[in-house]
Amino acid sequence: MPKNNKGPLTYEEALALSKKTRQTVIPTLCGMCGPTMGCGVYAFVKDGIFTKVSGMKESPINHGALCAKGFVAPQWVYSPDRLKTPLQRIGEKGEGRFREITWNEALEIIAGTLKHQKEKYGPETLAMLSPAKRSYSDYLYRFLIAHGSPNYGHSGICAIQKMFSFMYTVGGNLRGCDYQNADVILIWGRQPIYSGPSQGSARALVKAKQRGAKIITIKPSVEADGGFADIWVPIRPGTDAALALAMLHVVVNEDLIDHEFVDTWCYGYDKLKEHIQLYTPAWAETITGVPAGQIIHVARIYGKAEKAGIDLGNGVEHAPSANDAIRAVTILIAITGHLDRPGGNLFPPSGEMPTPKSVHLRERYTREWVDKLVGPEFPKAFQPFVEGTSSAYYRIFDSVLTEKPYPIRTIIAPGTQPTVSTRGSKRVVEALKKLDFYVVADVARTADMDYADIVIPLATPYETDHPFEARGNWIMARNRVIEPLADYKSMYEFILDLGAQMGYGADFWNGSMMDSMNDQLTPFNMTIDELRRHPTGIKYKSMPRTYENYREFFSKNSPGLSGKPFLPHGKVEIYNTTFEEEGFNPLPEWREPPESMTGTPELVKDYPLILSDYHTSKLYTASWQRNVPHLREIMPYPTLHIHPDAALRRGINNDDWIIVESPHGWMKVKAEIYEGIRPDTVMILHGWWQGCVELGIRDFPILDGGANANNMYSVDPDKAFDPLITAMSSQTLVQVRKA
Amino acid sequence: MPLQYGFVFDPSKCIQCHSCEMACKSWRDVELGIHWRQVKNIWENHYPEVTCVSVSVACMHCVEPECIKACPEEAIQKLPGNGIVIVDKEKCIGCRTCLDACPFGVPQFGEDEKMQKCDMCIQEIEYQNELPPCVRACPTQALLFEETEEERKKVMEQSVQALLSR
Repeated sequence: MPKNNKGPLTYEEALALSKKTRQTVIPTLCGMCGPTMGCGVYAFVKDGIFTKVSGMKESPINHGALCAKGFVAPQWVYSPDRLKTPLQRIGEKGEGRFREITWNEALEIIAGTLKHQKEKYGPETLAMLSPAKRSYSDYLYRFLIAHGSPNYGHSGICAIQKMFSFMYTVGGNLRGCDYQNADVILIWGRQPIYSGPSQGSARALVKAKQRGAKIITIKPSVEADGGFADIWVPIRPGTDAALALAMLHVVVNEDLIDHEFVDTWCYGYDKLKEHIQLYTPAWAETITGVPAGQIIHVARIYGKAEKAGIDLGNGVEHAPSANDAIRAVTILIAITGHLDRPGGNLFPPSGEMPTPKSVHLRERYTREWVDKLVGPEFPKAFQPFVEGTSSAYYRIFDSVLTEKPYPIRTIIAPGTQPTVSTRGSKRVVEALKKLDFYVVADVARTADMDYADIVIPLATPYETDHPFEARGNWIMARNRVIEPLADYKSMYEFILDLGAQMGYGADFWNGSMMDSMNDQLTPFNMTIDELRRHPTGIKYKSMPRTYENYREFFSKNSPGLSGKPFLPHGKVEIYNTTFEEEGFNPLPEWREPPESMTGTPELVKDYPLILSDYHTSKLYTASWQRNVPHLREIMPYPTLHIHPDAALRRGINNDDWIIVESPHGWMKVKAEIYEGIRPDTVMILHGWWQGCVELGIRDFPILDGGANANNMYSVDPDKAFDPLITAMSSQTLVQVRKA
Repeated sequence: MPLQYGFVFDPSKCIQCHSCEMACKSWRDVELGIHWRQVKNIWENHYPEVTCVSVSVACMHCVEPECIKACPEEAIQKLPGNGIVIVDKEKCIGCRTCLDACPFGVPQFGEDEKMQKCDMCIQEIEYQNELPPCVRACPTQALLFEETEEERKKVMEQSVQALLSR
């Protein structure tokens, strides 16, 4: 019998293993996905080569487990797609001809351009993009603030839209639900299995299922979660608001309401009661495609269960009705008595760990600053929101073309690929062609680097010893696994060096990342060197979980300049007077996607299927990592999930190359005959463009004829965006045929 | 009765994250195109009642391996003491008879055209008191490793076979 049959490796076991196999082991943090702190890992190095990864048992985030991406880190680090040196474009935009330059030259060119533009057009003509919260996000903000621009480009497709609607309805972010105690769990527009499979949510789902919780999954297609679901509610993409409104109709009219909670802690319930009568389950059936009977059934199960939670995902953030969908769900949680109660949706817990000192420079925000936003992600009255001031990622590109209210002159894309990450790829390419100056900073080739004036080659997180990371009750120093394979700097070093080059050195620790980390660690009373002496970091105690923290969360102040409370009545804003004052609807309503079965029936004859895309996958992080052969072997080609009936009608077989055409563009991809999808809907993973050298798979075109879902959607400014939170639509109508 | 090493797979806990598969590929430097362990999704029923079940399959190191019976070159053997089934690449002629015989579709043929498959990471287990990396990787303990009796191991073989033939 193996004597040591204990599961994942501890540090001591990893050391013992490395000794036996003549390797060295370095405890560090995984860098294969975002946002922010990754899983704890042991990296194994043999003869100077980074070879293998194992999960760190001591890590409270992954408890030693690791996902598919985590294991293939060495292939990603050693990929032939890695950038090698800073580049300057010498050909036409899009042509892909560059000359190699030194870091000093690159920094001088960027700083020279920014100084010139700052003087001639104003500092606000610089924008930095960020599709997701990253550990370096606050460094980007710091640079923008030191420079004088509010234009941090947040993409409006992930987490922050949801956070906004939660906070302006109940004062706190309702991330996830209480899987440990719930008897009923609604997984709504989310994939708890693929969003960090080695972390909490997948394990929590399995445990909940094992102890008999009822699992209801609400989404247009199921993946592995289909095997865990007791009920699948197969909703049409982008119609979550209609479903949520109809569920409110059921619980209100059947009186599945916690009246004591509503009387004490809610504002505007009577107005909701009247308003909701429009939205019957029969009405919702025509829009969502979910039978009225199933809507009533699910609303009753949820409304009647004492311990029921809703795990609301990013899927609901991709529609012009996103804010109302999230609000309606939040109101549903509140009035049925499931807010911050065991088994329900909980406010974030607190712990004993101090918060590192922020590097953001938030104290410098002013009204004038907010007024300079080129295309606010949230209306100016709500700026800055929790992450800082922000313009909508897409609106930054739009400003280049429309020059309204003014054109952005320089865009820096640090670890983001706008042609495959935001909608309207054709407009994005047009804007990149017209843009004065474009800087791409990444570890490997990117989809749009051929349009860049300067390309910055970054070190992977395995080639750097910073930053330290802190999340929940755990803080740990990142350790360098191998020396940089080429002339690389980390994103942090790039920003610090650029700051110094611009003359902002005093704000950038004069280029010292060590000083920056020591500065941030002040609340911990330790230095980075002292933190590094704890190979698996330091764990702090979490506070015992408390429930019904209404007084605390209902009185929180917003981070906006006004500092007004999120909830002006100190109660759940069912009827939202803050939104009303800014000219938005105070009660949740239904708004059609730009193209849909019920919104544009005239298009259905030519485009009879609904298209949407998956936000997460089990193998790739967004539009990254298609170049990693071990991952690519499992999912080599972009595949459209299509129901067998829809495929049969079109003579399409599994693995056939097919053409998918919408009113806005077309893709050539492979068909995957897929049982677990609505027959009127087809879905594809987003982010496809990159080839895989090792497997002989070439890049796909970015625009028509490629596999880029973003090229398929409307970006009509009046129809494709949520009017309040700028969420972007990812639904359209398509025809599908054999290629 | 002697005990044998065996994989125990619980489909009710598998989330199809492919971690076991990737741990196998990366820890054993398995060549491109070859899969010693594979995670599969199997649909059941039809829309809208459709559901699915998962299976993670590698060599089962069967109690009575069909591949051994089928191999004309006696290139495959079952090790006494632990029951691990291994291939002698010197003897294998790449005839693929074992592939036809294996009820799990396990045998793989790479660049050298010889049969290759999971060897249960015998080195890790025997010499280092370690778990196979695939088992160590599983976030939900759907895949376990145990030393077990022949009868229980046969039940495991049958249950994985039943999953694959659904």
